[in-house]
Amino acid sequence: MAIINQATKELQVKIVYYGTALGGKTTNLVQIHDHVQTAEGQKGKLVSLATSSDRTLFFDFLPIEAMAIKGFKTKFQLYTVPGQVIYNTTRQLVLRGVDGIVFVADSQYEKMEENVKSFQNLEENLRSLNLSLSDIPYVLQYNKRDLPNAAPIEYMEFLLNNREQQVPSFPACASKCEGVFETLNMITRMLLHKFINQNLSKAA
Amino acid sequence: MATLPQLIEEDIEAMNRALDELLARSEACAALIIDKGGFLITQTVHARQFDLVTLAALSAASFAATQGIANLVSETNFTSIYQQGEIHSLLVINIDEHCLLTVVFPAQVSVGAVKYFAAATVKQVANQLQKATQRNPTARLDLSLINMAETGPLFRKKTA
Repeated sequence: MAIINQATKELQVKIVYYGTALGGKTTNLVQIHDHVQTAEGQKGKLVSLATSSDRTLFFDFLPIEAMAIKGFKTKFQLYTVPGQVIYNTTRQLVLRGVDGIVFVADSQYEKMEENVKSFQNLEENLRSLNLSLSDIPYVLQYNKRDLPNAAPIEYMEFLLNNREQQVPSFPACASKCEGVFETLNMITRMLLHKFINQNLSKAA
Repeated sequence: MATLPQLIEEDIEAMNRALDELLARSEACAALIIDKGGFLITQTVHARQFDLVTLAALSAASFAATQGIANLVSETNFTSIYQQGEIHSLLVINIDEHCLLTVVFPAQVSVGAVKYFAAATVKQVANQLQKATQRNPTARLDLSLINMAETGPLFRKKTA
């Protein structure tokens, strides 16, 4: 979980981008890295542990600092997981210490079954870490909305956001950087509100 | 999931002292205390600048992968990993349930010597973390100083 260093007034938070293979998780991080407006030194290098064909092998990693938070230096560490089914052990490793999740769903009709399976896999992997989606803030991103075979948002909501408590969801076209920052801002805001509320309830 | 205790200045100072001592004795160039989730907690670096944030994230991931391998060969865990380089070598040692010590040292320095000195550092850091836990066992996050008064987006897209 997030670590806080009272001595240096630093808060470090881990956000994991999860979803099917070739769904656009790495593209989200690449777009954030390329387009985020930061002060000098507040954006780290994007590290990709990928195969020769650019498929994520272990994870991608991007450290970045938020500008608008006063009082604490708030550092976000963004990770992706490999989407391919065979790399489940790796996904479990990357989820260790996760604070927030962005589930990147592929909007193409033929990917719906994979989306649902990947979401179920996320729940299983969280269970193996004694976590659940009711404890961890998460948002949904419906990526590749520009493709002609994209399923309607309502259908994707029915498949992936059909729970007692619905979470924010965003249509996106990550390759054009559309919806990428909206998604990131929502998950960071949800995370910080959760931490602040936890703190308030402890103080009460 | 259990998390790190709240760390105050006293904790960080004690850990930094332990790291300084390790660097002085072992001739290592960098020593980092990292959370197993990949966060950098504190560090001491001599001479050369490394990308410590990434080093922390990759060390933690590498150590976690090694634990997966340990389970496959019927070991409960491996307590350390060692990567031998031509210029620098790397040693990652388990401190406790939450933390790791990563040491970067010149390749010509014996790993045995680094391990020997690091063992004492691990003990010192583990004791300090224990103290921090005992100080206030239930305290985890104190974010009373955070001010989210600004309602705009936390991350902004560069305008062309």
